[in-house]
Amino acid sequence: MRRSILLAGVLTTSLTLAACGSSDDSTESTTDGAAGASGGLTIWVDDTREAPVAAAAEAFTEETGVEVELVQKNFEDVRPDFLAQVPTGEGPDITVGAHDWLGEFVNNGVVAPLEIGDKAAEFDEVALQVYTYDGQLYGLPYGVENVALIRNTALAPEAPATWDDMVAAGQAAGTPFPVLVQSNGESGDPYTHYPMQTSFGSTVFAQDAEGRYTNELTLGGEEGKAYAAWLAAQGAAGVLDIDTTYDIVVEEFKNGNSPFIIGGPWMVASFEGLDLAIDPVPSAGGLPSQPFMGAPGFYVNAQSDNQLLANEFLVDYMSTVEAQVALYEVGDRLPAVTAAAEQVAATDPIVAGFRDAAADAVPAPSIPEMASVWTYWGNTEAAIVSGKSDPAEAWDKMVSDIQGAIDGS
Amino acid sequence: MATTAEAQSAPSSTRVRAARRRWWREVGWRYVVGVLAIVYAGFPILYIVSASVSDGGTLTGSTALFSTFTMDNYVALGETRFWTWVVNTLVIGSITAVGTVLMGAAAAYAFSRFRFSGRRVGLTSLLVIQMFPQVLAFVAVFLLLLSLGQVVPILGLNSRVALIMVYLGGALGVNTFLMYGFFNTIPKEIDEAAKIDGASHAQIFWTIILRLVAPILAVVALLSFVSTFSDFLLAKLILQSEENWTLAVGLYQWVSDQLSANWGLFAAGAVISAIPVVALFIFLQKYIVSGLTAGSVKG
Amino acid sequence: MSSTQQQREADVSSPRRHDSARVSHARDFGRGFFAKLAIMGLVDALGVYVVITAFTVGSTVIAWSMVALLLVANVVYFTRRALPMKYLLPGLAFLFVYQVFTIGYTGYVAFTNYGDGHNGTKDQAVAALLAQNEKRVEGSAAYPLAVVSNGDELGFAIVDGDDVRAGTAQDPLSVVDAEVSDGVITAVDGFELLDRQSVLAEQATVASLRVAFGDDPAAGSIRTQDGRNGYVYTSILRYDEDADTMTNAETGVVYAENDHGQFESAEGEKLNVGWRVFTGLDNIRTAFGDERYSVPFLKVLVWTFAFAILSVAGTFLLGLFFAVVLNDPRLKYQRLMRSLLILPYAFPAFMSFLLWRGMLNTKYGFINDTLLGGMDINWLGDPVLARLAVLAVQMWVGFPYMFLIATGALQAIPAETIEAAKIDGAGPLRIWRSVTMPLLLVAVTPLLIASFSFNFNNFNIIEMLTEGGPMFRDASVPIGSTDILITMVYSISGLDGGAPKNYGLASALSIIIFLIVATISVISFKKSRTLEEIN
Repeated sequence: MRRSILLAGVLTTSLTLAACGSSDDSTESTTDGAAGASGGLTIWVDDTREAPVAAAAEAFTEETGVEVELVQKNFEDVRPDFLAQVPTGEGPDITVGAHDWLGEFVNNGVVAPLEIGDKAAEFDEVALQVYTYDGQLYGLPYGVENVALIRNTALAPEAPATWDDMVAAGQAAGTPFPVLVQSNGESGDPYTHYPMQTSFGSTVFAQDAEGRYTNELTLGGEEGKAYAAWLAAQGAAGVLDIDTTYDIVVEEFKNGNSPFIIGGPWMVASFEGLDLAIDPVPSAGGLPSQPFMGAPGFYVNAQSDNQLLANEFLVDYMSTVEAQVALYEVGDRLPAVTAAAEQVAATDPIVAGFRDAAADAVPAPSIPEMASVWTYWGNTEAAIVSGKSDPAEAWDKMVSDIQGAIDGS
Repeated sequence: MATTAEAQSAPSSTRVRAARRRWWREVGWRYVVGVLAIVYAGFPILYIVSASVSDGGTLTGSTALFSTFTMDNYVALGETRFWTWVVNTLVIGSITAVGTVLMGAAAAYAFSRFRFSGRRVGLTSLLVIQMFPQVLAFVAVFLLLLSLGQVVPILGLNSRVALIMVYLGGALGVNTFLMYGFFNTIPKEIDEAAKIDGASHAQIFWTIILRLVAPILAVVALLSFVSTFSDFLLAKLILQSEENWTLAVGLYQWVSDQLSANWGLFAAGAVISAIPVVALFIFLQKYIVSGLTAGSVKG
Repeated sequence: MSSTQQQREADVSSPRRHDSARVSHARDFGRGFFAKLAIMGLVDALGVYVVITAFTVGSTVIAWSMVALLLVANVVYFTRRALPMKYLLPGLAFLFVYQVFTIGYTGYVAFTNYGDGHNGTKDQAVAALLAQNEKRVEGSAAYPLAVVSNGDELGFAIVDGDDVRAGTAQDPLSVVDAEVSDGVITAVDGFELLDRQSVLAEQATVASLRVAFGDDPAAGSIRTQDGRNGYVYTSILRYDEDADTMTNAETGVVYAENDHGQFESAEGEKLNVGWRVFTGLDNIRTAFGDERYSVPFLKVLVWTFAFAILSVAGTFLLGLFFAVVLNDPRLKYQRLMRSLLILPYAFPAFMSFLLWRGMLNTKYGFINDTLLGGMDINWLGDPVLARLAVLAVQMWVGFPYMFLIATGALQAIPAETIEAAKIDGAGPLRIWRSVTMPLLLVAVTPLLIASFSFNFNNFNIIEMLTEGGPMFRDASVPIGSTDILITMVYSISGLDGGAPKNYGLASALSIIIFLIVATISVISFKKSRTLEEIN
């Protein structure tokens, strides 16, 4: 027995030595299709998006004879890997992505401008706007997403008009939670809380006349403090809670432990079997609630040798109603192509509800300054909700810290 | 044993009580500690097992364990590439483990048995090199494999062989030290006796030393296997196509995006993938704990 | 073990009795020598193949490295000297290729400004700037387009109203005779139409082709991104290769290269895309220059040491304790118990961290809710408790490793040594203190030092369990009670996503951390005298 181990060892050493000096006799070579094989398109997709992109790719290959290779990546790895690999001449021709990576991608020169010509008219305006930087379009959106109030109609038949109405209705329903709002412990979740913040008139960055974000930080001021005070009050009353993480809110809502949850279309698949209605997030501060609107989409590699093919694939195959509907089916996001959106909304009241709730939505900023904001913003909101910090004081310190971070970088 | 000899002279009831007390003092309490230790090690894992048989979508969203029972997640694994990943992991892990053991043992032998200039510095450097913070590894390894791959495709990106090579780059390191320390506890007289018998250094190494240190070779093999098994940073960087992935890459990918995380599938996969590690440990235990050291030293 | 196996083992070990004359492997012309010859022949053959291929594809660095490696290997294995190298070389070769490169690369990056805005080469930055600032003329029409060739070069033909206009990079568009059906150009006089396959074959040329729209350069030029539709573009930025400057065609502002790998105007306005340049010691200066980090730095440093030391001590003592307790041959189910104990090790660590994060949740976590019967302990929100929690989780994740090592090391202690001590009348504690423990420590001390350095940089547990929180209230940077040096580096250099990423700064800082850890390790290594032999 031991001898056989030793023998195996000798064999392996010689094999590894052999491989160290290279080898071309291994079975590996057959599966060794590195990304970026010439003549075809390479596309990075994540797990969820693979099937619909594959379907479009198949049609593309059939009609053009061009092979498409899909490389599956973790969604969170796409951003750093794309940034690191494009300058080496590697990386995909096309990648899935989120619109808020745009500022970073543009400043690093890794993404190619995209001209979709007359097709632009077929897209949702905001969805294209979030992929536009300094007047150039850089990505092709395939959906739009935003948070809204998801209501379990069995527990709350009526849509609440205001935040307080909602809390009252939630308490009247007799469930353990009047409303579920996800947070993330000490790290907070400013994205989910943004509709409440905007209902006090407090925003994050100023927008110019055309809706583009400027680098003027607008978190401070009386509106911001009013919102901070409200956070403290809701935290003290137990309505908001930093311990209710994404896992927990989804589980509790699914089990019927609250009539309301604030969340996005990505949650819907977890709530199978419940009768849902989607309403705008009720106003807490008197003004309309304005959730962030985001748009998942595709980027083209600035160094790609296949610009024409990449463009053709995106404009002619991923912008079709079928492709956008297929992407909706796996992610529950409202398609970015208007015709597809209407087709989907006509049959799916949930998606239609999210669309209506987005009437007042604002694009989530993709300016590079945004990177300096999230951490401070979330930590401060969490500290206020949990009663650890004085709201006004903490809010002021947060604003000056963020300004310091923006100036420092 | 001394126990029996002592006990024979005492009256039977006292004898039994004394024996029992003695048993408790010497052996029995060990069971208690063992059970407590297992509870400590195991209770968080119940969560994973529970998530793997539940139809829910979260890992920690509920404190109610085993509220539902379904094998759906395990069945669903068959529709994924899970089993391909299992095979990849086993192949990559085993080859890396064997390579690490052999190269590490050879180095440890050299450090333990030969005296040469640069030995101390060499030993210390091996330890210190492994401490380098790998903040840029993901860029550096990518660039390295990119250029190697232009010469020899199989050493380039998306190759399982290349991944093994990268892992073997770490073969001389902590594990060498573990073996080095172990080699030092083997009396030098044994080699010297063999040398007088006419054995060459290679024969001493392959036929005498390696056998005497079998327990630590088994430990190092296991450690190496586990670290290969649980690495996903290098693996997901190097292995691009799904059919080449290892388990850690595949499992991580199921839960890396919180919003679309598939915890049920992940938990089922994690439970199954823990089996090879435990099985390997059970298999290697007889080498780790075989009492063979004592016997061989005499011989 | 079967008797045949034993027999075979006897065969393997027999040569030392028969071939008593042979002393050195290098002069041994027995089986071993031929095995060596065969392996070296294989290595050399493959090595030469690599060298030739590397020269062919132009990778001279790889080619020469391989030549050096082959030379060293052949010298080492075919001389009588260099005995230790015979055993070290395989491992060292891998180490040099794969590990030292990473370190060298990090060292190189530490002196550059690699990071957001300085992500690639200057050529790439210039190309990106030009591409980003070439904009479609607002309100201009879309023209159906065909890619054509005049025999020498490619050109475009577009349908402009009722006319078809064609041109090349040299000749602006001019009206030509052509046939159009359904808005698609089917023939152009004086040009040959390219079919789709040919267009795709030339797609790089087609994508970079610009055909002036008219004789006036200000009218812009036609380009296409799909080979079917053309649009009129004007370039806002012009690159002057000779002067190495960028000029804004609208404002006339000239941007020249500055020391930091960016184009900068006289007024100090910079263009967004820069490139990677050497910045010398700038990163080190930045690292020590940011005053916002001076407040939390000392606290972080102290906690880093505390965490690393306590983690090692805790996991080792716990692992050793379990190993000793279960190391009694009289125990039944010994194997089963040992196997169950390594369970935490059999699951990927990232999962364990996420799992524990959930279990430590204040209101809904398993620890408070079930184990402690509904307590409300804020494990991850209180500075002291969060640190305890991090340590406790590290104990759980790390003890099986120590358990394994201790179990193995305990087996290694020769039974004779223990027996001898027993005969000398030493009690169990005495044996433990003066025989077992010292022998054990010989084997494991380097591992403890390595484990210390690993925990010193244990990025994952902090990032996945607490993200460094709870945050310091008195600091102006997002640094918290459980942040260790390496997570602070990620935060300072933006690698955690909280600021534009600066790999240069991160590399410089990680090298400083490396120097700290390495110094401590070398000193403790010397102190522990593990390099001294026991025998």
